[in-house]
Amino acid sequence: MWNLLLKALWETLYMVGASLALSALFGVPLGIVLVITEPRHIRPAPLVHKLLSTIINIGRSLPFIILLVAIIPFTRWVVGTSIGTTGAIVPLTVSAIPFTARVVETALLEIDRGVIEAAQAMGATTGQIITKVMIPEAVPGLILGLTMVAVNLIGYSAMAGAVGGGGLGDLSIRYGYQRFRGDIMLLTVVILVAIVQGLQSCGSWLAARLNRR
Amino acid sequence: MSQVMIELANVTKIYGQGEKRVVALDNVSLKINKGEIFGIIGLSGAGKSTLIRCINKLEVPQSGTITIAGQEITKLKGKELRETRRKIGMIFQHFNLLSSRTVYGNIAFPLEIAGAKRSELKERVLSLIDLVGLSDKISAYPAELSGGQKQRVGIARALANNPEVLLCDEATSALDPETTKSILGLLQDINQRFNLTIVLITHQMNVIKEICDTVAVIEDGRIVEEGPVVELFARPRTPTARRFMKSVLPTEIPAEIKERALRMDDRKRGGKTVRISFIGDVAGEPVISSLIRKFQVDVNIIHANLDYIKNTPFGSLIIDLMGESSKIEAAMEFLKDRGLKLEVLNGVEPTA
Ligand SMILES: Nc1ncnc2c1ncn2[C@@H]1O[C@H](COP(=O)(O)OP(=O)(O)OP(=O)(O)O)[C@@H](O)[C@H]1O
Ligand SMILES: [Mg+2]
Repeated sequence: MWNLLLKALWETLYMVGASLALSALFGVPLGIVLVITEPRHIRPAPLVHKLLSTIINIGRSLPFIILLVAIIPFTRWVVGTSIGTTGAIVPLTVSAIPFTARVVETALLEIDRGVIEAAQAMGATTGQIITKVMIPEAVPGLILGLTMVAVNLIGYSAMAGAVGGGGLGDLSIRYGYQRFRGDIMLLTVVILVAIVQGLQSCGSWLAARLNRR
Repeated sequence: MSQVMIELANVTKIYGQGEKRVVALDNVSLKINKGEIFGIIGLSGAGKSTLIRCINKLEVPQSGTITIAGQEITKLKGKELRETRRKIGMIFQHFNLLSSRTVYGNIAFPLEIAGAKRSELKERVLSLIDLVGLSDKISAYPAELSGGQKQRVGIARALANNPEVLLCDEATSALDPETTKSILGLLQDINQRFNLTIVLITHQMNVIKEICDTVAVIEDGRIVEEGPVVELFARPRTPTARRFMKSVLPTEIPAEIKERALRMDDRKRGGKTVRISFIGDVAGEPVISSLIRKFQVDVNIIHANLDYIKNTPFGSLIIDLMGESSKIEAAMEFLKDRGLKLEVLNGVEPTA
């Protein structure tokens, strides 16, 4: 039993960790583009902004379980397989990218416009404003936002069982529910709750720690 | 001969369209000389911020040109614009410091952006921190500083790349009067030390009075009056200018004195209550004693105030002149000849 649990825990951490990293990799730049293309921001581009915003909204409105199935061909093309833990990472990432982009957008919009303007007045380039002003100023908000993405991913990863992804959620359903192993069900739930709690506490603590405002 | 540092020619800036259309700047032309402190005063919504933000192209005017040190900034784009902006410092009402950086980090920021070498950067930052008197706050974050200290960081940051021009957008409006004085003192100090041209916008006349050489009054996007500050105080032409002036100079005659002057009229003692207003060097001359000696009139000083506009004395004196009426007339002529402005407070002569 412990072996099963340990294996499932590892699978969950692997799926969530990998898809979190990947969705941050794509979602953060998307969030940045979303913000700077706003009407009175540093690179106004109404068309780009509208287009991106619409795509993100569509992405966020698709139910995960449908997305999981719908992108099977894409998943196979990217990682060579559409099943297993690795196969689950692709749909998890795809579903988390739009959410990440919004979360990043929210964090970046909280920065005082005056600070960005001051940097513009000093002759900073767009790249310098993003890397030296916007991101450092938004660090606490970004950490909280990414914590939210991670917690969401843990929830979604439970559905990865549908494609044989494994993980704690899958274990809980297959053993706990289908084979009436109440003890396994309980343990997986306890572990999941502990992970979410721990993650949220770490995120909040770090954000507060780094907040200089 | 003074050299023009900033020139605005027929600058018009319009926000919005249709119903929301606002003409924020209406054909504004201005010349600002090198090394002067140029104040722009106006009521809220007059277009002050828009005007100063056009100077470093944070706002792009619809028409007109703005030239800084011979370079037409309204034409510049991309790299050229950024390089020119490095030579124009700016400070803000709400300081706009990076909350994630310390005092040191904030002042280092413009140098990093300009690609300064590490060794030079440190030296420069330390000397700037020293200049604004914040050596003991070097690793404090903005949230740990008072408003005045934050503005000092803002000033140090604005000076980092040795600008030729410093733009101040309501730099003291968020500060208490004491702190305002110290920040204005610092601005005056750097103006003299580095021959820096300072453009300062404000809605507070005491700021203008304290440090500006030249002032422009802006109203509804138009410059309605412009000239040396002393001139504006001596001869305000527009109602707006007069209103601003009143806010810092007690031009109102105290009620008791008015009443007293009327009573004196009643008694027909032949005396006159006169207000003498003066500006500039006359204040140092022994006018009153010559008056007494030359015209054998009695002088009774009943009210006086003296103030300074930058370094020019400015004030008024209310006196009773008593004696033979011909002598009083002669004495008054004498005062007028000295360039003093006279107002008789009693009798028929209307006050100006
Ligand atoms: N971004 C903008 N969009 C639309 N209208 C604007 C914008 N900025 C300023 N305005 C309008 O332009 C006019 C001038 O504004 P500006 O901010 O220059 O005034 P101000 O003199 O600086 O006022 P205050 O003393 O309140 O700061 C105002 O009527 C204002 O509503
Ligand atoms: Mg303003």
